Amino acid sequence: MSNAQLRFWGVRGSYAAPFSSHLGVGGNTSCVEIRVDDHLLICDAGTGIIPLGNKLMQQDQIREIFVILTHYHWDHVCGLPFFVPAFMPDWKIDFFGPGDGPELIEEHISAQMQAPYFPVGTETWLAETNYLEPQSDGFQCGPMKISFSNVHHPGITFGYKIEVNGKTIVYASDNECKFIEKSIKRRTDEFTEEEHELIEEMVHEEHQSELNLFKDADILIHDAQYTPDDYEKKHGWGHSCYVDAIDTAIDANVKELYLFHHDPNYDDVAMEAIQKHSNEIIKEKGSSLVCHIAKEGMTIDL
Amino acid sequence: MGSTRPTVIGVDNSPSMKKLLERSTKDLDIDLTVFTSAEEAWPYLQANTPNLIIVSILLPDKNGLSLLRDLRQLPAHRETQAIIVSSKDYAQDRMVAKDLGVLEFIPKPMSLQTITDVVVKYTHASLKSDSK
Repeated sequence: MSNAQLRFWGVRGSYAAPFSSHLGVGGNTSCVEIRVDDHLLICDAGTGIIPLGNKLMQQDQIREIFVILTHYHWDHVCGLPFFVPAFMPDWKIDFFGPGDGPELIEEHISAQMQAPYFPVGTETWLAETNYLEPQSDGFQCGPMKISFSNVHHPGITFGYKIEVNGKTIVYASDNECKFIEKSIKRRTDEFTEEEHELIEEMVHEEHQSELNLFKDADILIHDAQYTPDDYEKKHGWGHSCYVDAIDTAIDANVKELYLFHHDPNYDDVAMEAIQKHSNEIIKEKGSSLVCHIAKEGMTIDL
Repeated sequence: MGSTRPTVIGVDNSPSMKKLLERSTKDLDIDLTVFTSAEEAWPYLQANTPNLIIVSILLPDKNGLSLLRDLRQLPAHRETQAIIVSSKDYAQDRMVAKDLGVLEFIPKPMSLQTITDVVVKYTHASLKSDSK
Protein backbone atom coordinates (compact mmCIF):
# COMPACT_ATOMS: atom_id res chain seq x y z
CA MET A 1 0.00 0.00 0.00
CA SER A 2 1.36 3.41 -0.96
CA ASN A 3 1.66 6.30 1.41
CA ALA A 4 -1.12 8.54 0.16
CA GLN A 5 -2.56 11.82 1.42
CA LEU A 6 -4.95 14.48 0.23
CA ARG A 7 -4.62 18.05 1.43
CA PHE A 8 -6.82 21.09 0.88
CA TRP A 9 -4.79 24.23 0.03
CA GLY A 10 -7.69 26.37 -1.19
CA VAL A 11 -11.41 25.83 -0.61
CA ARG A 12 -13.08 29.08 -1.70
CA GLY A 13 -14.94 29.78 -4.91
CA SER A 14 -15.12 32.97 -7.00
CA TYR A 15 -12.39 35.00 -5.29
CA ALA A 16 -9.99 34.78 -2.40
CA ALA A 17 -11.41 35.73 1.00
CA PRO A 18 -8.43 36.48 3.26
CA PHE A 19 -10.63 38.08 5.92
CA SER A 20 -10.03 37.47 9.62
CA SER A 21 -13.68 36.37 9.94
CA HIS A 22 -13.12 33.61 7.32
CA LEU A 23 -9.80 32.07 8.28
CA GLY A 24 -11.19 29.16 10.28
CA VAL A 25 -12.28 27.70 6.95
CA GLY A 26 -9.64 29.48 4.87
CA GLY A 27 -9.53 32.19 2.24
CA ASN A 28 -7.62 30.72 -0.72
CA THR A 29 -9.35 29.61 -3.91
CA SER A 30 -9.51 26.06 -5.25
CA CYS A 31 -6.44 23.85 -4.93
CA VAL A 32 -6.22 20.25 -3.69
CA GLU A 33 -3.02 18.22 -3.43
CA ILE A 34 -3.03 14.43 -3.71
CA ARG A 35 0.35 12.92 -2.97
CA VAL A 36 1.11 9.21 -3.29
CA ASP A 37 4.69 8.45 -2.25
CA ASP A 38 6.65 10.87 -4.47
CA HIS A 39 3.91 11.31 -7.07
CA LEU A 40 2.14 14.64 -6.89
CA LEU A 41 -1.22 15.51 -8.41
CA ILE A 42 -2.63 19.03 -8.01
CA CYS A 43 -6.31 19.63 -8.69
CA ASP A 44 -6.80 23.24 -9.80
CA ALA A 45 -4.47 26.20 -9.44
CA GLY A 46 -6.35 28.85 -7.50
CA THR A 47 -4.51 30.97 -4.93
CA GLY A 48 -4.08 27.82 -2.80
CA ILE A 49 -1.36 26.64 -5.19
CA ILE A 50 0.86 29.56 -4.08
CA PRO A 51 1.55 28.31 -0.52
CA LEU A 52 1.72 24.75 -1.91
CA GLY A 53 4.44 25.88 -4.35
CA ASN A 54 6.35 27.58 -1.53
CA LYS A 55 6.15 24.39 0.54
CA LEU A 56 7.39 22.29 -2.40
CA MET A 57 10.45 24.52 -2.69
CA GLN A 58 11.48 23.37 0.80
CA GLN A 59 11.91 19.71 -0.24
CA ASP A 60 13.96 17.90 -2.85
CA GLN A 61 12.32 14.49 -3.39
CA ILE A 62 9.69 15.73 -5.84
CA ARG A 63 10.50 17.52 -9.08
CA GLU A 64 7.56 16.37 -11.23
CA ILE A 65 4.01 17.62 -10.88
CA PHE A 66 0.77 16.83 -12.70
CA VAL A 67 -1.75 19.70 -12.60
CA ILE A 68 -5.34 18.98 -13.64
CA LEU A 69 -7.64 21.95 -14.15
CA THR A 70 -11.43 21.73 -14.03
CA HIS A 71 -11.70 24.87 -16.21
CA TYR A 72 -10.07 28.27 -16.65
CA HIS A 73 -12.24 30.62 -14.60
CA TRP A 74 -9.79 32.81 -12.73
CA ASP A 75 -10.40 31.37 -9.26
CA HIS A 76 -8.99 28.09 -10.64
CA VAL A 77 -5.88 29.41 -12.41
CA CYS A 78 -4.97 32.69 -10.71
CA GLY A 79 -2.31 31.09 -8.49
CA LEU A 80 -0.17 29.96 -11.45
CA PRO A 81 1.62 33.29 -12.04
CA PHE A 82 2.95 32.96 -8.46
CA PHE A 83 3.65 29.22 -8.44
CA VAL A 84 7.40 29.21 -7.79
CA PRO A 85 8.25 25.66 -9.12
CA ALA A 86 7.12 26.78 -12.60
CA PHE A 87 9.92 29.37 -12.61
CA MET A 88 12.62 26.85 -11.63
CA PRO A 89 14.71 25.04 -14.27
CA ASP A 90 14.87 21.60 -12.68
CA TRP A 91 11.11 21.03 -12.45
CA LYS A 92 8.72 19.30 -14.82
CA ILE A 93 5.02 20.20 -14.85
CA ASP A 94 2.34 18.46 -16.94
CA PHE A 95 -0.91 20.34 -17.40
CA PHE A 96 -4.28 19.00 -18.42
CA GLY A 97 -7.65 20.72 -18.66
CA PRO A 98 -10.57 21.29 -21.02
CA GLY A 99 -9.59 22.21 -24.57
CA ASP A 100 -9.49 20.70 -28.02
CA GLY A 101 -5.78 19.85 -27.79
CA PRO A 102 -2.51 20.88 -26.14
CA GLU A 103 -2.29 24.22 -28.01
CA LEU A 104 -5.65 25.39 -26.68
CA ILE A 105 -4.84 24.23 -23.13
CA GLU A 106 -1.58 26.20 -23.30
CA GLU A 107 -3.39 29.22 -24.74
CA HIS A 108 -5.98 29.18 -21.94
CA ILE A 109 -3.33 28.83 -19.21
CA SER A 110 -1.10 31.53 -20.71
CA ALA A 111 -3.86 34.07 -21.37
CA GLN A 112 -3.83 35.51 -17.84
CA MET A 113 -0.06 36.15 -17.95
CA GLN A 114 -0.09 38.87 -20.59
CA ALA A 115 0.38 42.63 -20.59
CA PRO A 116 -1.25 44.73 -19.33
CA TYR A 117 -2.64 42.25 -16.80
CA PHE A 118 0.69 40.67 -15.73
CA PRO A 119 4.32 41.73 -16.29
CA VAL A 120 5.74 38.40 -17.52
CA GLY A 121 4.38 35.57 -19.65
CA THR A 122 4.63 31.80 -19.37
CA GLU A 123 7.72 31.96 -21.61
CA THR A 124 9.55 32.98 -18.41
CA TRP A 125 8.71 29.64 -16.85
CA LEU A 126 11.96 27.67 -16.67
CA ALA A 127 10.35 24.37 -15.68
CA GLU A 128 9.73 21.87 -18.47
CA THR A 129 6.02 22.33 -19.12
CA ASN A 130 3.83 19.96 -21.14
CA TYR A 131 0.22 20.40 -22.14
CA LEU A 132 -1.43 17.04 -22.59
CA GLU A 133 -3.69 15.74 -25.32
CA PRO A 134 -7.04 14.48 -23.96
CA GLN A 135 -7.00 10.69 -23.62
CA SER A 136 -10.33 8.87 -23.76
CA ASP A 137 -9.12 6.31 -21.23
CA GLY A 138 -7.69 8.98 -18.91
CA PHE A 139 -4.23 9.48 -17.44
CA GLN A 140 -1.88 7.88 -14.98
CA CYS A 141 0.09 9.84 -12.37
CA GLY A 142 2.24 7.17 -10.69
CA PRO A 143 -0.26 4.80 -9.11
CA MET A 144 -3.14 7.29 -9.53
CA LYS A 145 -5.60 6.62 -12.35
CA ILE A 146 -7.34 9.79 -13.48
CA SER A 147 -10.43 10.09 -15.69
CA PHE A 148 -12.62 13.08 -16.51
CA SER A 149 -16.20 13.91 -17.48
CA ASN A 150 -18.09 17.01 -18.55
CA VAL A 151 -20.01 18.63 -15.69
CA HIS A 152 -22.64 21.35 -15.40
CA HIS A 153 -20.94 24.74 -15.37
CA PRO A 154 -20.43 27.58 -17.87
CA GLY A 155 -17.98 26.66 -20.64
CA ILE A 156 -16.35 23.26 -20.89
CA THR A 157 -15.73 22.12 -17.32
CA PHE A 158 -14.49 18.76 -16.12
CA GLY A 159 -15.08 16.69 -13.02
CA TYR A 160 -12.25 14.25 -12.23
CA LYS A 161 -12.26 10.74 -10.82
CA ILE A 162 -9.00 9.66 -9.17
CA GLU A 163 -8.48 6.04 -8.18
CA VAL A 164 -5.70 5.22 -5.74
CA ASN A 165 -5.04 2.62 -3.04
CA GLY A 166 -8.39 0.98 -3.84
CA LYS A 167 -10.21 4.24 -3.12
CA THR A 168 -12.16 6.47 -5.46
CA ILE A 169 -11.93 10.22 -5.06
CA VAL A 170 -14.13 12.50 -7.17
CA TYR A 171 -13.22 16.16 -7.54
CA ALA A 172 -16.10 18.26 -8.90
CA SER A 173 -15.27 21.75 -7.72
CA ASP A 174 -17.79 23.52 -9.97
CA ASN A 175 -20.99 21.68 -10.81
CA GLU A 176 -24.59 22.87 -10.63
CA CYS A 177 -26.37 19.66 -9.74
CA LYS A 178 -30.09 19.12 -10.37
CA PHE A 179 -30.05 22.09 -12.78
CA ILE A 180 -32.64 20.76 -15.23
CA GLU A 181 -34.91 19.51 -12.45
CA LYS A 182 -34.97 22.96 -10.89
CA SER A 183 -35.43 24.65 -14.28
CA ILE A 184 -38.48 22.52 -14.97
CA LYS A 185 -40.08 23.40 -11.64
CA ARG A 186 -39.93 27.04 -12.72
CA ARG A 187 -41.50 26.34 -16.14
CA THR A 188 -43.99 23.56 -15.40
CA ASP A 189 -47.03 25.45 -16.82
CA GLU A 190 -45.44 25.70 -20.28
CA PHE A 191 -45.79 22.02 -21.15
CA THR A 192 -48.50 19.58 -22.26
CA GLU A 193 -49.13 16.21 -20.65
CA GLU A 194 -47.19 14.40 -23.42
CA GLU A 195 -44.29 16.81 -22.97
CA HIS A 196 -44.35 16.33 -19.19
CA GLU A 197 -43.85 12.59 -19.68
CA LEU A 198 -40.82 13.20 -21.91
CA ILE A 199 -39.48 15.81 -19.52
CA GLU A 200 -39.74 13.44 -16.56
CA GLU A 201 -37.66 10.95 -18.53
CA MET A 202 -35.19 13.74 -19.31
CA VAL A 203 -34.84 14.64 -15.61
CA HIS A 204 -34.30 10.99 -14.73
CA GLU A 205 -31.62 10.62 -17.42
CA GLU A 206 -29.83 13.78 -16.29
CA HIS A 207 -29.88 12.63 -12.68
CA GLN A 208 -28.54 9.19 -13.59
CA SER A 209 -25.78 10.71 -15.68
CA GLU A 210 -24.82 12.95 -12.74
CA LEU A 211 -24.81 9.98 -10.36
CA ASN A 212 -22.59 7.95 -12.70
CA LEU A 213 -19.65 10.26 -12.06
CA PHE A 214 -20.07 10.16 -8.26
CA LYS A 215 -21.30 6.59 -7.82
CA ASP A 216 -19.80 4.76 -4.81
CA ALA A 217 -17.05 7.36 -4.38
CA ASP A 218 -15.15 7.03 -1.11
CA ILE A 219 -14.50 10.77 -1.14
CA LEU A 220 -16.50 13.34 -3.09
CA ILE A 221 -15.23 16.92 -3.13
CA HIS A 222 -18.16 18.88 -4.49
CA ASP A 223 -19.29 22.41 -5.20
CA ALA A 224 -21.53 23.64 -2.36
CA GLN A 225 -21.30 27.36 -2.93
CA TYR A 226 -24.76 28.47 -1.88
CA THR A 227 -27.29 28.25 0.91
CA PRO A 228 -30.86 27.46 -0.27
CA ASP A 229 -31.80 31.17 -0.01
CA ASP A 230 -28.83 32.32 -2.08
CA TYR A 231 -29.34 29.55 -4.63
CA GLU A 232 -32.88 30.82 -5.25
CA LYS A 233 -31.31 34.09 -6.43
CA LYS A 234 -28.38 32.44 -8.22
CA HIS A 235 -29.97 29.51 -10.03
CA GLY A 236 -28.15 29.19 -13.35
CA TRP A 237 -24.84 30.60 -12.12
CA GLY A 238 -23.16 27.19 -12.40
CA HIS A 239 -22.86 26.31 -8.70
CA SER A 240 -24.72 24.03 -6.33
CA CYS A 241 -26.67 24.59 -3.17
CA TYR A 242 -25.15 22.44 -0.41
CA VAL A 243 -28.52 20.72 0.15
CA ASP A 244 -28.52 19.48 -3.47
CA ALA A 245 -24.88 18.37 -3.16
CA ILE A 246 -25.82 16.30 -0.08
CA ASP A 247 -28.91 14.78 -1.78
CA THR A 248 -26.85 13.87 -4.84
CA ALA A 249 -24.08 12.34 -2.71
CA ILE A 250 -26.64 10.23 -0.81
CA ASP A 251 -28.27 9.06 -4.07
CA ALA A 252 -24.82 8.16 -5.46
CA ASN A 253 -23.92 6.13 -2.36
CA VAL A 254 -20.92 8.34 -1.57
CA LYS A 255 -19.15 7.57 1.72
CA GLU A 256 -17.66 10.96 2.60
CA LEU A 257 -18.65 14.31 1.13
CA TYR A 258 -16.44 17.39 1.43
CA LEU A 259 -18.45 20.54 0.78
CA PHE A 260 -16.15 22.74 -1.30
CA HIS A 261 -15.89 25.97 -3.31
CA HIS A 262 -17.41 27.98 -0.49
CA ASP A 263 -18.92 31.35 -1.23
CA PRO A 264 -16.43 34.08 -0.23
CA ASN A 265 -19.27 35.96 1.49
CA TYR A 266 -19.73 33.19 4.07
CA ASP A 267 -17.68 33.70 7.22
CA ASP A 268 -16.78 31.01 9.75
CA VAL A 269 -20.08 31.45 11.62
CA ALA A 270 -22.07 30.97 8.40
CA MET A 271 -20.00 27.88 7.54
CA GLU A 272 -20.66 26.39 10.99
CA ALA A 273 -24.39 26.82 10.38
CA ILE A 274 -24.00 24.98 7.04
CA GLN A 275 -22.19 22.11 8.79
CA LYS A 276 -24.94 21.90 11.44
CA HIS A 277 -27.77 21.94 8.88
CA SER A 278 -25.94 19.36 6.71
CA ASN A 279 -25.72 16.96 9.65
CA GLU A 280 -29.44 17.46 10.37
CA ILE A 281 -30.37 16.71 6.75
CA ILE A 282 -28.29 13.52 6.74
CA LYS A 283 -29.76 12.39 10.08
CA GLU A 284 -33.32 13.06 8.88
CA LYS A 285 -32.67 10.98 5.77
CA GLY A 286 -31.19 8.14 7.83
CA SER A 287 -28.11 8.15 5.61
CA SER A 288 -24.65 6.93 6.56
CA LEU A 289 -23.02 9.73 4.53
CA VAL A 290 -20.33 11.62 6.43
CA CYS A 291 -20.29 15.29 5.49
CA HIS A 292 -17.43 17.73 6.13
CA ILE A 293 -16.80 21.36 5.39
CA ALA A 294 -13.54 21.35 3.40
CA LYS A 295 -11.10 23.59 5.27
CA GLU A 296 -7.70 24.90 4.28
CA GLY A 297 -4.95 22.70 5.73
CA MET A 298 -7.27 19.74 6.27
CA THR A 299 -5.44 16.49 5.45
CA ILE A 300 -6.94 13.08 4.69
CA ASP A 301 -5.01 9.81 4.78
CA LEU A 302 -5.93 7.68 1.77
CA MET B 1 -33.62 11.68 -59.10
CA GLY B 2 -32.49 11.52 -55.46
CA SER B 3 -34.63 12.60 -52.55
CA THR B 4 -34.90 16.36 -52.11
CA ARG B 5 -36.23 16.05 -48.59
CA PRO B 6 -34.22 18.09 -46.10
CA THR B 7 -31.85 16.11 -43.92
CA VAL B 8 -31.76 16.87 -40.20
CA ILE B 9 -29.15 15.38 -37.87
CA GLY B 10 -29.45 15.21 -34.09
CA VAL B 11 -26.43 14.55 -31.85
CA ASP B 12 -27.67 13.79 -28.34
CA ASN B 13 -27.24 10.75 -26.10
CA SER B 14 -30.53 11.32 -24.27
CA PRO B 15 -33.20 8.74 -25.29
CA SER B 16 -35.95 11.18 -24.24
CA MET B 17 -34.47 13.90 -26.45
CA LYS B 18 -34.36 11.42 -29.35
CA LYS B 19 -38.08 10.77 -28.76
CA LEU B 20 -38.75 14.50 -28.59
CA LEU B 21 -36.93 15.10 -31.88
CA GLU B 22 -38.81 12.25 -33.56
CA ARG B 23 -42.24 13.24 -32.26
CA SER B 24 -41.81 16.94 -32.99
CA THR B 25 -40.89 16.24 -36.63
CA LYS B 26 -43.08 13.20 -37.33
CA ASP B 27 -45.40 15.18 -39.63
CA LEU B 28 -42.57 16.91 -41.49
CA ASP B 29 -41.23 15.61 -44.77
CA ILE B 30 -37.61 15.32 -43.62
CA ASP B 31 -34.96 12.65 -43.10
CA LEU B 32 -34.04 12.66 -39.42
CA THR B 33 -31.10 10.69 -38.00
CA VAL B 34 -30.05 10.93 -34.37
CA PHE B 35 -26.51 10.00 -33.30
CA THR B 36 -25.73 9.40 -29.65
CA SER B 37 -22.16 10.71 -29.54
CA ALA B 38 -19.76 12.98 -31.41
CA GLU B 39 -17.69 9.95 -32.36
CA GLU B 40 -20.73 8.21 -33.87
CA ALA B 41 -21.77 11.34 -35.80
CA TRP B 42 -18.31 12.25 -37.10
CA PRO B 43 -17.95 9.73 -40.00
CA TYR B 44 -21.41 10.70 -41.27
CA LEU B 45 -20.65 14.41 -41.03
CA GLN B 46 -17.33 14.01 -42.81
CA ALA B 47 -19.14 12.48 -45.77
CA ASN B 48 -22.43 14.39 -45.75
CA THR B 49 -23.74 17.94 -45.40
CA PRO B 50 -27.17 17.88 -43.79
CA ASN B 51 -29.52 20.85 -43.97
CA LEU B 52 -29.60 21.23 -40.20
CA ILE B 53 -27.68 19.85 -37.22
CA ILE B 54 -29.21 19.85 -33.74
CA VAL B 55 -26.47 19.27 -31.14
CA SER B 56 -26.47 18.88 -27.36
CA ILE B 57 -23.54 20.33 -25.37
CA LEU B 58 -23.04 17.58 -22.80
CA LEU B 59 -22.23 14.52 -24.89
CA PRO B 60 -20.70 11.36 -23.43
CA ASP B 61 -17.43 11.73 -25.34
CA LYS B 62 -16.93 15.26 -26.60
CA ASN B 63 -18.49 18.61 -25.78
CA GLY B 64 -21.03 19.55 -28.47
CA LEU B 65 -19.40 22.96 -28.95
CA SER B 66 -16.04 21.23 -29.59
CA LEU B 67 -17.77 19.02 -32.14
CA LEU B 68 -19.06 22.14 -33.91
CA ARG B 69 -15.61 23.74 -33.77
CA ASP B 70 -14.12 20.64 -35.45
CA LEU B 71 -16.94 20.66 -37.98
CA ARG B 72 -16.31 24.30 -38.95
CA GLN B 73 -12.77 23.29 -39.95
CA LEU B 74 -14.21 21.14 -42.73
CA PRO B 75 -14.82 23.21 -45.89
CA ALA B 76 -18.20 21.54 -46.46
CA HIS B 77 -19.41 22.56 -43.00
CA ARG B 78 -18.28 26.18 -42.71
CA GLU B 79 -21.89 27.30 -43.10
CA THR B 80 -23.90 24.21 -42.17
CA GLN B 81 -26.89 25.35 -40.16
CA ALA B 82 -26.57 24.35 -36.51
CA ILE B 83 -28.75 24.60 -33.42
CA ILE B 84 -27.79 23.87 -29.82
CA VAL B 85 -30.23 22.12 -27.48
CA SER B 86 -28.78 21.96 -24.00
CA SER B 87 -29.46 21.20 -20.37
CA LYS B 88 -26.74 23.81 -19.74
CA ASP B 89 -27.95 27.36 -20.22
CA TYR B 90 -25.13 29.76 -19.44
CA ALA B 91 -24.12 33.04 -21.08
CA GLN B 92 -20.56 31.75 -21.68
CA ASP B 93 -21.87 28.77 -23.70
CA ARG B 94 -24.26 31.01 -25.66
CA MET B 95 -21.36 33.31 -26.56
CA VAL B 96 -19.17 30.43 -27.78
CA ALA B 97 -22.13 29.03 -29.74
CA LYS B 98 -22.72 32.41 -31.38
CA ASP B 99 -19.05 32.61 -32.40
CA LEU B 100 -19.44 29.19 -34.03
CA GLY B 101 -22.34 30.45 -36.11
CA VAL B 102 -25.04 28.63 -34.13
CA LEU B 103 -28.46 29.91 -35.22
CA GLU B 104 -30.46 29.18 -32.07
CA PHE B 105 -29.61 28.12 -28.51
CA ILE B 106 -32.56 26.23 -27.03
CA PRO B 107 -32.40 25.30 -23.33
CA LYS B 108 -33.86 21.96 -22.26
CA PRO B 109 -36.62 21.20 -21.63
CA MET B 110 -38.38 22.56 -24.68
CA SER B 111 -41.85 21.98 -26.10
CA LEU B 112 -42.40 19.76 -29.14
CA GLN B 113 -43.59 22.81 -31.05
CA THR B 114 -40.30 24.65 -30.38
CA ILE B 115 -38.40 21.95 -32.29
CA THR B 116 -41.02 21.73 -35.05
CA ASP B 117 -40.80 25.50 -35.53
CA VAL B 118 -36.99 25.66 -35.79
CA VAL B 119 -36.82 22.72 -38.17
CA VAL B 120 -39.41 24.33 -40.46
CA LYS B 121 -37.76 27.74 -40.13
CA TYR B 122 -34.31 26.55 -41.20
CA THR B 123 -35.13 23.68 -43.62
CA HIS B 124 -38.42 24.97 -45.09
CA ALA B 125 -39.70 21.42 -44.62
CA SER B 126 -43.24 20.83 -45.74
CA LEU B 127 -45.81 18.56 -44.13
CA LYS B 128 -45.86 14.92 -45.23
CA SER B 129 -48.63 14.32 -47.77
CA ASP B 130 -50.58 12.09 -45.34
CA SER B 131 -50.43 14.80 -42.66
CA LYS B 132 -51.96 17.54 -44.81
